[in-house]
Amino acid sequence: MSAKHRETANVGAGNWKGLGMWAWILFRVAGVVLVFYLFAHIGVISSARLGGHHTMNTIFKTFDKTLFVLLDLLLVWAVLFHGLNGVRIVLMDLGIGITRHKAMFWACITVAVVCFAFFAYSALNFIADKGGAWL
Amino acid sequence: MRTDVLDQSRGGMWAWLLQRITAVLLIVGFASHLISTHIMAIGELSYDNIAHRLASGFFVAMDVMLLAAVLYHALNGARMVILDYWLSAKAQRRALSLALWLVGVAAFIYGLWALWPWIKG
Repeated sequence: MSAKHRETANVGAGNWKGLGMWAWILFRVAGVVLVFYLFAHIGVISSARLGGHHTMNTIFKTFDKTLFVLLDLLLVWAVLFHGLNGVRIVLMDLGIGITRHKAMFWACITVAVVCFAFFAYSALNFIADKGGAWL
Repeated sequence: MRTDVLDQSRGGMWAWLLQRITAVLLIVGFASHLISTHIMAIGELSYDNIAHRLASGFFVAMDVMLLAAVLYHALNGARMVILDYWLSAKAQRRALSLALWLVGVAAFIYGLWALWPWIKG
């Protein structure tokens, strides 16, 4: 196989199958979600100066509702997955573990699940204590 | 020629490097950001609580650093997604980069404005 063919094979089918593909798709979806969240976040935090003390606290009251706490957990998952898979990508860019990228993927997922469990425990406790409305 | 094309399709060397550098900053920064807001202060989301945290210079500096790093990382990431599907002409790529830089700088200035009372101290 010539170098050119090998390159084509890598760029095409190699990326579009198996675990690496799913890691890539989820990484990208999480990334796009986080871009939108970033601008929403800047908007919400700026309410402190834009509208002041009262405006910000009114917005925060909504975020205490159960639906938003659960959405927060989705966000935590997006950050954890994107961040940890990102560590895997940086390591592979440095030439570390390219041949073991699947094992590294599952290691990232394990760390993400353990971290997520802490946040989920904390969030579910909050919902239970608060017992607030859905929305 | 081939490496040129390949490099373009990946968005450029400096963008790649900055994406990695900001990634490392964000991993460390968000760990601190999420633990201090969601674990240590869960259920205490309020203006006073945030103002109290921002009274410390460490958190203000952290927030400004995170703002710059995350804006670069997010907009360059968005650029990479867009370039994967659209805008193959060089002039279009330049226009996209310029537009994203304008959005990023505007958002950074807006963020600094929002944090100004605490930056001023």
